[in-house]
Parts: sequence; structure tokens; C-alpha cells
Amino acid sequence: MSKTDAGEAQDVSPEPVWKSLVGPLLFVLLAGTFYVLAGKIDEPPGPEQLGAGFWPKMVLIFLMVSCGIKVGEIFMARGKREAEGTPAGPLPEVNTLKLAAMIAMVIAAVYFMDVIGFPLANFLFLLLFMRIAGLRKKLPLFLTSVLGTLFLLYLFVKIVYLPLPKGQWFFDDMTIFLYRVLHII
Amino acid sequence: MFDQLSLLGAGLVNTFDPLNFSMILVGLVIGVLAGALPGITMLNAIVLVLPFTYLMGIVPSLLLMTSVYCGGVFGGSITGILFNIPGDPMNVPTTWEGYALNKKGFVSKALGMAIMCSAIGGFLSALVMTFVSPPFAKVALSFSSCEYFSVVFLGLVSVVVIGTRSIGSAFISLFIGMFLGTVGMDEIYGAVRFTFGSRIMETGINFTTVLIGLFAIGEVLDQLSVKNKGDGEIIRTRPKTTLPTFGEIWALRNTILRGLGIGTVIGAIPGTGATVASFVSYGVEKQVSKTPEKFGTGVWEGLAASETSINASTGGAMIPLLTLGIPGSGATAVMMGAFLLHGIQPGPLLFNKSPEAVYTIFVGMLVCNLIMILAGLITAKFFSELMRVPENILCAFIITFCLIGAFALRNDMADVWFMAIFGIVGYFMRRYDLPIPPMILGIILGPLAEKYFLTTMIGAGNDFTIFFTRPVSGCLMVTSIGLLLMPFLRGLGKKGKKAQA
Repeated sequence: MSKTDAGEAQDVSPEPVWKSLVGPLLFVLLAGTFYVLAGKIDEPPGPEQLGAGFWPKMVLIFLMVSCGIKVGEIFMARGKREAEGTPAGPLPEVNTLKLAAMIAMVIAAVYFMDVIGFPLANFLFLLLFMRIAGLRKKLPLFLTSVLGTLFLLYLFVKIVYLPLPKGQWFFDDMTIFLYRVLHII
Repeated sequence: MFDQLSLLGAGLVNTFDPLNFSMILVGLVIGVLAGALPGITMLNAIVLVLPFTYLMGIVPSLLLMTSVYCGGVFGGSITGILFNIPGDPMNVPTTWEGYALNKKGFVSKALGMAIMCSAIGGFLSALVMTFVSPPFAKVALSFSSCEYFSVVFLGLVSVVVIGTRSIGSAFISLFIGMFLGTVGMDEIYGAVRFTFGSRIMETGINFTTVLIGLFAIGEVLDQLSVKNKGDGEIIRTRPKTTLPTFGEIWALRNTILRGLGIGTVIGAIPGTGATVASFVSYGVEKQVSKTPEKFGTGVWEGLAASETSINASTGGAMIPLLTLGIPGSGATAVMMGAFLLHGIQPGPLLFNKSPEAVYTIFVGMLVCNLIMILAGLITAKFFSELMRVPENILCAFIITFCLIGAFALRNDMADVWFMAIFGIVGYFMRRYDLPIPPMILGIILGPLAEKYFLTTMIGAGNDFTIFFTRPVSGCLMVTSIGLLLMPFLRGLGKKGKKAQA
């Protein structure tokens, strides 16, 4: 191993066990909560019937058992790493701000698709998402958003007859006006 | 036998009638394109072409629909291999290996192999359909919910082979998927479960929304959020599809034959279909492999097994429809609708009343699977062009297609919300190494397993041993348990060898 490699390996400290256990324990907690809820499904089974709660309860028990298997694996893997002296590899570095902005854009796109209609919401989504994703030239950004939205409208509304959301209030009329101008309807 | 051959000859002549042949070509292109677009399923495409068949005769109508069917089941593999976005749930195992092969630089070969294996699987299963339809259908008809459960259980057990790195994580993901499958109205008792008073949740969580979200949105977020990757980097490669050589196909002959057998048999069992076939075939292939640990990292056997079984299931699914009049899947149910629209009742009498029509369909499917190589090459070329588009533009449009695809399922914004939420969940699952495929498997097969399990229990007075006392079911259950235990036994074997050394 080269000096640099060795140095990098030393910098990467193994994840504390409690951190690895958070996930499985959280799932056990959730599974336990839903198990209680499954017991309250108000459809009493008939005589000699397993009932509507049986299957989810069985699945949740298996989920809890799986979490137990995972906990066992975590301890076994740790023991193995300690024995071999190899720490767990680091996760690739993430641009948190960019990720948060992209997630926000996806949520906003879904919300505004219903409120301001597909054409406008999609145009704005494409424009902003591509900007966040790194497209900086203004003309390609604008043209791709406009032409892309028009292509999707012709493909899905005119050819496939898919009634994409038109929006609410004033936006409903505006979308219909746009469809008429574009000879989509 | 002579009668059968003369009918096949008549079918061949009819197939190459200009109208019939053009229907095969049109159907294949529509099917492959629809299959490749996430959210637009092969079933959507068959339903969309149904109105166009009103003015046609029964033969061109059915050739159009069967071509859409054959093309549609293959189409989803193209986007799976190129972009890690399976067009349909059945294309998920292809995506695991195909996308990994793409990352390794074998994208052209992976596309070619997928096309060839699909064509071989479809062609050979159409041959099986032609010659063994009646006896085969009788066996499938004798299956009860007990056997159906065993088949689905075998599919679920394949999670063991999916979860290569951590069995615990794979099981957690699987059971979360199965639990999500229980949300909504219960099919057997009619009880509403885990909806928290929401009417939207009563119809359950559509697995296609979960599939699109977890794979497509999660992948986009994952790709774009990694630092030091070069923002807006243009992907310059434009893969050409390279068909495999005879030697390469011959080397995979056993895999292809296993995929063919599994696909045809599972396809012929009503209610299962291509999705179960592809998962089971992939699972079996991994278990018989000498290097199972390599599955998921780009293994040709995994790709070939999944692709062969998907298209082999099309021939199998036509068997109960044509010989018994029982549609085994959504696609064959729409085809049955086309038969009825033309005043023809599919079933044993069909072979006496309209033998030429039946044999034209048989030959049409054989021809269709051969032409699919060409249709696959053309469509793969079209989608490969997209690889030249800058990543930031491509990713934005992938999300837009996903939003439209989720909405198109039921014209309901709730599905779009589910898709977005599962997209974000998918990103964190990737980040924290919780495998996605088992969750998909759980949400697709979980409700089927529940239905067949509870139906069996009602009939058998809650006697669990029935799954082991019926011959077919017993064999399947023992096989499943064997597969389930195999990784543990392998582990013990390795430990024993190490101790000896």
C-alpha cells in the first residue's frame, strides 16, 4: 500500500456501532407501532377465519425478525473488520444544498402542477431544475424549457389524449386558452 | 400432425398478407416504445390500440395486439439498461444486470444480448404454445390458490439472491415492501387497513408509482448530488447495439433454456405472468451459478435469464386464453375483449370453428418475435441518441416523464405525490445501503401472496400443511425453502473449508 493510501485508510474511522443500529431499531419501533394498529383493524374475522389483520401482523413480525438479523450482521461485520483491521469505506461526498434544492423542486413541481396547471408548472420546473443541475447558458435553458413543454403537451394531450392537470381558478382558463392557441384541443 | 402442419402453412400465408404483416410491424414499434417509457405500461398500449381494432377483422386485430404485447414486455429493458429506469416491473431484474453492464462499458453488448434473448425466449415459447397448448392448459387449470401461493412464494424467496451484500437489509426492504402492499382495502375481507381515514389511501399504493419513484427519481437525485462530478457534464457516448455472436449465445444456452422453461410455465399459470417469471428466473439462475456473489455487478447470465423468461411468458400466457378462454393476465384479458368484440368466444371450440385464425396467431407470434430483433435495434438506437444529451437536461426530462407517467396511471395527483415521496425515499435508501429491488418485489408480490394464502386457508380450514401435502405445491415449497437455506449452507461450507485449511 502506498503512503497516501495508507494515510487515507487511517483517516477513515469506522462508524460507531450505535449509529449503525439506529436504522434497524427505528424499523422495529415502527413495526411495533403498526403491529398494534393491525390489531385494531375493525373487521372481526368470522369463525375459523384468520382475519384482515393476520397478514400485516405476520409481515411486521418478520420485519422485526429481519431487523434482529441486521443487528447481528452489524456486530459480526464489526468483529470481522476489527480482526482484519479494515475500516468501512466512506460514502461519496454529497452537495447537500444542491440535493435539498432538487428535492424541493420535485415537491414544488407536484404541488404546483395541480394548482397552476401542467404547462406552466412544467415550464418553470424544467427551467429551475436544469439551472440547479448546472445548466448556465440562458438561451438553451429557456428554449429547452419552452420546446420541451410544447413537445410533452402535443405528445400526451393531443396524441395520447391524457388529460394533464389544467390548474385551478384563473389557471384553468389560461391552460385551456393555451391549448386552443396551440390547436391541441 | 399433418393437419397441424397444413394449418401452420395456411397461417404462414395469412401472416404475410400485407395488412396482417403491417399490423405486426406497427404493433411491435408501439409496444417497444410504450414499454420503454416509464409509467406507460404495455397494458396501457394494448388498451390504447383496442379501439383501432373495431374496424379490422379478428386476425389483424389479434396480430396487432400480440405484437404490442411482445414488444411491450421487451421495451422496458432498453431504458433499464441505458438509464437504470425499468419501463415495467418485469424489467427490474434486467435492469440490475443491464445497468451494471452499462457502467462497466458493455452497454452495446447488453442491449444486443437483451434483444436476442427476448427474441429467442419469445420465439421458442411461441413454438411451445403451438404444439403443446391443449395438454399444457389442462395442467394449469388444475392449479388452485395453494399452487399459486407456492409460485409467488418462490418469487419472494428470490430476495435471498437479490440481497447479496446483506441478507438482513434485503429482508428489511422486502418486508417493508410487503407491508406497503397491505395498505388500502383488503381483497378478501374488505377491511380498510392503515389508511388513517384518507380516501386516497383506500385504493392502496400503486406499485408502479413506487417503482418509478424509487428507481428513476432516486437515481436522478443520486447522480446529480454527488460532488466533484463536473456539473453539467455532457455524456458524449452514443452506444451502438451490438448483437451477440452465435458462440456467445451458445455459451448461455443452459441459462436461456432455464429462462424459457420458467417463463413458459409461469406465463401459462393465470394470475402470475412476466413479472413473477423474471424474478423467479433470475433467482434460480443465481442459485445455480458458480459465482452467485457476482450477480448484481453485471453478469450476462442474469440478464439473459430475465430477458428470456419475460418474453417466454408471452407464449405461455396465450395458452390458457386460446385453449380454455381464461385470460391469465391484464394483457390477455384485453385480447379476450377483442375476441368477444368480434363475436368469437376463445376456448377449445375455437380450434374447431376458426382453426386458420388460431394458427395465423401462432405463426404471427413466431414471426413477430423474429422481427422484434429489428424493432428492438431501431428503438434502442433512438433511445441511445438520448445518451448524448447533457446530464442536467436529461435528468430534468426524466423527472417530468415520471410525473406524467405517475399521473397517467389513474389520472390522480395522489399517485404523483406517492411517486415523489418514494423518489426521495429511494435516494436515502441508496445512500444508506438499503437495497431497493427487494422492496419492489415485496410490494408487487406481497398482495398476491396474501390473496392466495388467505384463500387457501379459508378452503383448508387454516391447515398450513396443505402447502406441503399437494404434489405441485409441495415441490415448489421444498424448492423455495432449499433456495432460502442455500446462502446459509454455503456460508457454513466456506467456514468448514477455512477450518480445514
